[in-house]
Amino acid sequence: MARGGENRGRLLLIILVITSLFLITLDLRGVSVISGLKTGTQSALSPVQNFGSTVLSPVRNFFSDVIHLGRTRSEMEALREENGKLLTQLRERRSIDAQLEQLQGALDLAGKAEFTVVSARVISQGATTSFTQTITIDAGSNNGIKPNMTVINSYGLIGVVKTVYPSSSLISLTSDPSFRIGVRVAGSQQIGILSGQGTRKGVLQLLDNQSTIKVGDILVARGSVNNRPFVPGVPVGEVTSVDNAAGAITQTADVRFFANFSALSVVTVVLKGPAVDPRDALIPAKPVPTPIPTVTVFVTPSQSPSPNSSGSN
Amino acid sequence: MSTRKISLAALLFIFVYVLQEAFITQLHIAGGGFSLFLIFALLWAALSTPDIGALTGFVAGFLIDLSQSTNGAVGQWTFVLILVGFGISYLGLGYENVRMNPFTITLLVTSSVVAARVLYVLLSLLLGESVGNFTSIITSLLIGALWSAAIVPIVMPLVARAYDFIDDSRHRL
Repeated sequence: MARGGENRGRLLLIILVITSLFLITLDLRGVSVISGLKTGTQSALSPVQNFGSTVLSPVRNFFSDVIHLGRTRSEMEALREENGKLLTQLRERRSIDAQLEQLQGALDLAGKAEFTVVSARVISQGATTSFTQTITIDAGSNNGIKPNMTVINSYGLIGVVKTVYPSSSLISLTSDPSFRIGVRVAGSQQIGILSGQGTRKGVLQLLDNQSTIKVGDILVARGSVNNRPFVPGVPVGEVTSVDNAAGAITQTADVRFFANFSALSVVTVVLKGPAVDPRDALIPAKPVPTPIPTVTVFVTPSQSPSPNSSGSN
Repeated sequence: MSTRKISLAALLFIFVYVLQEAFITQLHIAGGGFSLFLIFALLWAALSTPDIGALTGFVAGFLIDLSQSTNGAVGQWTFVLILVGFGISYLGLGYENVRMNPFTITLLVTSSVVAARVLYVLLSLLLGESVGNFTSIITSLLIGALWSAAIVPIVMPLVARAYDFIDDSRHRL
């Protein structure tokens, strides 16, 4: 009996393993049933994810408030006196304002470049089961989004559309270790390949061994044929350090991406690129340093009274 | 296995899956966070017999494969979790032997999470997929292991009770 049970267990294991290998084969061969299953699951989950995003929004603000408790102690004291309804409204308002600010910035950038865009909310932030860096947005093929479209926000390039579902899309972030993009150093014709490293830092490799770069150089997307996957001119990042190793064939550099991938709430997908390359027109203006007025006070010490004059009598 | 047991277990798995996909992925957790569903599935497998462990791995893996955040081919996680689910239940030698030792379960599940992710990376490499650089993989594995070690003791009593409830319902039938 025990041997029969063991054999049955082994048979089940073999059947399951063969089934999984069969699934992998079908998916790699592009059988539509498998992709249909995935699309169906995503379509079913999308409304729940939207709901989750809405429900968790105040919670995220709560955590943010706790983090900044020391800095805004006086504000917190004042807020405690207000009733719960006003507090909830304030938290909701903060979330909306932040989203509005991001949306406005992205639309400004898109407007300047004459992009045709659609904006979307981030409804999911990747997963630990995947080693890639992705986000999911609440707009999909119903909104005109197609695979390999550029995704931007107010700071610049965010990533590229990887998979599209009817009402949501999966975006591969520029920080993804497998992400590669052709970039141009702003203000010059130097080109290179920028690779994601899993963090906000990327590595640039110049293609021409005669080219040189320096810290502070701004990188913009070179653009692709028919503007897919990358529209030209979108700011990508800034060179933070240059590797001048002797014997290297080409120069490499560390780059800090403009976009903060851990705080994405609204992003914009470029549906149609510009007719003309905007070149360096989209690079954000550097902040102008505001001079801080200083006052120099000269103090001339007066003669101290002599002990004789004060202590006499 | 009775129909009732299968239905209840399926409902529970779908509930945790939706919880993971709709809520856990929304939170900005340090270091990429954790997969509650993966931990739940492996805990369930640890409390089961080897054949149920493999079956649990199959169902859980298939659901993870259908997740929008999984980039690999459908079937990759299914394959990995069948092996890991079978392995963890075989090592645990069933519910009776491990349920009295929460430390063993925590260690077993945490190791299994790491093992499953390592197997997934190896399978991805075999299939020619891009998995990132070595440092980012090691960092992700370490952080994932720490999160799992922290989460398993919290969810273990709930999973054990749910398992008890469903198992008892089988006996009642």
